[in-house]
Amino acid sequence: MTIRTMLVTAALLLPLSGCATGAKYTEVASTLPPLASSQGRIYFYRPSAFGAAVQPAINLNGQKVGTAKPHGFYFVDRAPGNYEVTAATETEKKLTFTLEPSQERFVRLRIQMGVMVGRIVPELVDKADAERELGKLSFIPDPLK
Amino acid sequence: MSLRGGLCVALSALGLVACAPEVVRRPTQLTSVAEQAKDTIEIGETVPVSVGPGYRRVIRRGSLWTRIGRSVEGEVFKPVDGVFTVEGAQIHEAYLVLAGDRLVGFYLPVERAFAPVGDGKEIRLSIRRRPP
Repeated sequence: MTIRTMLVTAALLLPLSGCATGAKYTEVASTLPPLASSQGRIYFYRPSAFGAAVQPAINLNGQKVGTAKPHGFYFVDRAPGNYEVTAATETEKKLTFTLEPSQERFVRLRIQMGVMVGRIVPELVDKADAERELGKLSFIPDPLK
Repeated sequence: MSLRGGLCVALSALGLVACAPEVVRRPTQLTSVAEQAKDTIEIGETVPVSVGPGYRRVIRRGSLWTRIGRSVEGEVFKPVDGVFTVEGAQIHEAYLVLAGDRLVGFYLPVERAFAPVGDGKEIRLSIRRRPP
């Protein structure tokens, strides 16, 4: 095993480094700003701390909206239309979906480990499943910071 | 097996799926139905389906799907209060395409494309139709 491999492995196995902290979804859900009827809302969340060192930028239609912070969630409001989510990792898996007015979409950011590095796979999740996972996650009010 | 094929198998075994091919699809045109004509179906039995190269999904018993239109391949049904995706190299939101009670493939709304069921075999679904 090379030194680089060992360092990467060690970094990936640090379970709680760089996890989101702060108010939980259950505490802030009722205080989030209402969604304008002409917009849709897209939530991004990463429920697992596995591979916590891998925190790539998350792009929505090519524009950075945040990072894949473990145990954190954030959202963006956007006009209805077609959207593409990608994570800036070595290998890229993109997710495409539609957004309608007043619709909420939930994108789970799942880590998938490879030989040398992990990558983030964005998955479209239905609201019931997402809310079960969101409950214990921390709100990231300014995901671009 | 070619060198590339062998590499793909090795990497897949290690959890890397970067070699996964794209979901097979072709452009199609969706003709929408009027709002008042959007009937709904309920799935009677859970059915596993192949949705892409090496990927499977489940169409769950009790899930509801609304008919939103028709393409040349069949009637197009969108999930009610749920999501459905197909997966290959990328992940795409998808709707069901039915010919009668047979699942023939998926409509990809962003790509405006039809993707046939993964193994090419149409699947008969147990469905209950609800009027609009």
